[in-house]
Amino acid sequence: MRDRPIIALAGNPNVGKTSLFNALTGLRQTVGNWPGVTVEHKSGLCTFNHKNYEIIDLPGIYSLSGGSLDELVARNYILNDKPDLIINIADASNLERNLYLTVQLMELGAPMLLCLSMTDIAQRNGINVDTEHLSAHLGFPVIPLVMNKHMDLDMLMDIVAISVVNPPVPATIHYDEVVESHLDKIWQIILKAGLTQYASAPTDNSADGNADLAYNALIQSRWQAIKLIEGDPVLSLAMPTEPKEQINKEIQAIAKHRGQEPAAVIADDRYGFIRGLAKDTVKRKNPHNWTFSDAVDKLVLSGVVGLPIFFGVMYLVFLIAVKASAPFISIISSSLSWLFVEQFGLVLSALSAPAWLNFILSEALGGGIATIGSFIPPIFFIYISLSILEDSGYMARAAFIADKFMRKIGLPGKAFIPLIVGFGCTVPAIMATRTLESPRDRVFASILTPFISCGAKLPVYTFLVMLFFPRRADLVIFGLYMFGIVMAMLTGFMLKKTIFKSEQGHFVMELPPYHVPTFNGIMLHTWHRLKDFILRAGKTILLVIVVINVFQIVQLPLGENGKSTPVLELGGKLLTPLLSPMGIKQDNWPATVALISGLFAKEAIVGTMQSLYESPNGEAGQESNVHKNLKTSFGSQASALAFLVFVLLYSPCAAALTMLFKEHGSKWMLFAFGYLTALAWMLATLTYQILAFNASSPSWIAIILGFFILIYYNLHNIGSKHAI
Amino acid sequence: MLSNRNRMRLRNFGRHFNGRRGMGLCKQGQCLNLDKLPEGADAYITCNRNIKTIERGLYMGMKISMFRNDENEPNVIVAVGDARYVLDRRIAMDIKVRTG
Repeated sequence: MRDRPIIALAGNPNVGKTSLFNALTGLRQTVGNWPGVTVEHKSGLCTFNHKNYEIIDLPGIYSLSGGSLDELVARNYILNDKPDLIINIADASNLERNLYLTVQLMELGAPMLLCLSMTDIAQRNGINVDTEHLSAHLGFPVIPLVMNKHMDLDMLMDIVAISVVNPPVPATIHYDEVVESHLDKIWQIILKAGLTQYASAPTDNSADGNADLAYNALIQSRWQAIKLIEGDPVLSLAMPTEPKEQINKEIQAIAKHRGQEPAAVIADDRYGFIRGLAKDTVKRKNPHNWTFSDAVDKLVLSGVVGLPIFFGVMYLVFLIAVKASAPFISIISSSLSWLFVEQFGLVLSALSAPAWLNFILSEALGGGIATIGSFIPPIFFIYISLSILEDSGYMARAAFIADKFMRKIGLPGKAFIPLIVGFGCTVPAIMATRTLESPRDRVFASILTPFISCGAKLPVYTFLVMLFFPRRADLVIFGLYMFGIVMAMLTGFMLKKTIFKSEQGHFVMELPPYHVPTFNGIMLHTWHRLKDFILRAGKTILLVIVVINVFQIVQLPLGENGKSTPVLELGGKLLTPLLSPMGIKQDNWPATVALISGLFAKEAIVGTMQSLYESPNGEAGQESNVHKNLKTSFGSQASALAFLVFVLLYSPCAAALTMLFKEHGSKWMLFAFGYLTALAWMLATLTYQILAFNASSPSWIAIILGFFILIYYNLHNIGSKHAI
Repeated sequence: MLSNRNRMRLRNFGRHFNGRRGMGLCKQGQCLNLDKLPEGADAYITCNRNIKTIERGLYMGMKISMFRNDENEPNVIVAVGDARYVLDRRIAMDIKVRTG
């Protein structure tokens, strides 16, 4: 036993693992009413009776077959890190299906205990589980808990402490006699060939160490034999040729005996055991009835009103984000400007600080803090709306509704969930693609996530749209969001025809029952995301603002007639001609610099603009001064809209690019960077040339169309050789 | 701990209830593909080779109810026990069920 025992929480998706994790560790991980909230394992510490335990929250899985990445994360953790105890959480209101994973964990020989969650819902549905009887059959303790109410954690931890010292031995699952005899032969082949992969050395130096090792090897080689019958790809590939042929013969004999696929034989027998257990230990007063969720789904998912409800809900989210946040933006922004720019500047002046230090600390840093403050209200309201959708259970329904469109672009409806997460931030959205089974779908969905306007783009939209389109700001912002979705669909459609030619993975998803979201849950969820945003954005924005100000102070004699000019202005002017077709004039170089700063973090765009569009003679922090200069520099609504289209579509930020690199490699990261930036330039140019139509517009439109054809032709060529 | 005798009893007890209704091949006209099951109808699964859905509880002998089945949509929604699943029509086509 380790000094600090490791306790892993495993179970089906959406059964309350993260709720238990938060209760045990006091941490505040995000909890949601939709599958795929946890896509990698998280750890925290729990102290009970002066002893520390490390608690690991594993992703929700239905089995240990490793079909998707989150299943592999959970399975590899259990096999390689060998936790001292597994708390298997099972939904008491749907026990039979949940016990399928329990049976697999038992086969693995892992020391475990079973925690029944949602016992209140089970009781409401007339389901009564005899936990003592169930425990006697399984060979380890069974504890009923209500996850969202007052949990009896002391009782749970008492049992955990005992089970860690004296690990319970789970009962063995026996298969059909003929299957057992073949399983036994495969087991012998594995043992003889010394192919036991996961048996580890004992964790203590006790005299029983060798016995422990031998027992672990024995149990896990039986598990390995079962997985080989199931056709586990990881274990089958690792098998040397000679024993593999012998094993294949045994597997074929099983298939012949039962007239079923070998994997189905194993699943069937496991369910045989489970149904026996359920008949023996679960009493149900009422037969399965249609529930409240079913009645709501009849309306929400109906062909007639389902789609209008879906679009209505999405529009409401943006309406709330724009309208509700508007009064708070000016209050927060002016208060922070007064405090950090004006008052802090006065204090520094009183302390006789040098002018450059005063400028950097009060104008640059203070102004940066005020800028971040002005982002908080719209992001808070969009996060709160998304939290309500997630916690209520509507998110999974939205995936079902969206499946019709998703099919058209070659993705399963489940890929809609990462895209929705993308409204918050692209980084977790790319991580959420791990819930998709097929690698093709994961790459494809990851490339489309940057099209969804993340929370960081919202401040840029609100800042510019309220300035240039004050009358219908909500409609323009909603239009930008929708334009991103439309472009994602068009890109998806093109990629489906060119490089992602194979068929999308099958769509199988559980619809969780509707829950009334709790105030605490929503606030916790929102706070968790908002805190991440403030910390991440705060660091990046402040850094970018300081760097920009330094580049603005440093001057080189490279201007007109050898005049000393700031480095920032020189760099901006050098790149601005590239953006002139989209309405960015040569003297509007700060817009180019703002776009470059957006590569670090999109939130930095507004901070950079506020810093660079401020007149040298204007009063510090004076809003109208910045607004006036912005209006003069952009000149028209057309160039402002083209700029916004560019912001919407161009390369994702550095953090998202890093995540793309981590998940799919440099090739796809470079593809996303190049394709998105080129597309942003083309569409921004097209927008400007159409809205501000002039003599040169037809040629620009022709050039853009030529570029589109060239891109399609190249993708088609790549696809014909290396299609996925 | 259970004795070997009781363990064997439990195993046989489980088998007794496992898929008895759906065991064996369907006679002609008795079985239909799940995607053909009309909305609101109940059926028993007689054949399912898709391991992903078996793991989610759609195993042989399990009672299944069709919650939503619109031929113009790429998915169906089924009720299995207290769980509701969205199933790809391609998967539903491979699952055989018997009504009544």
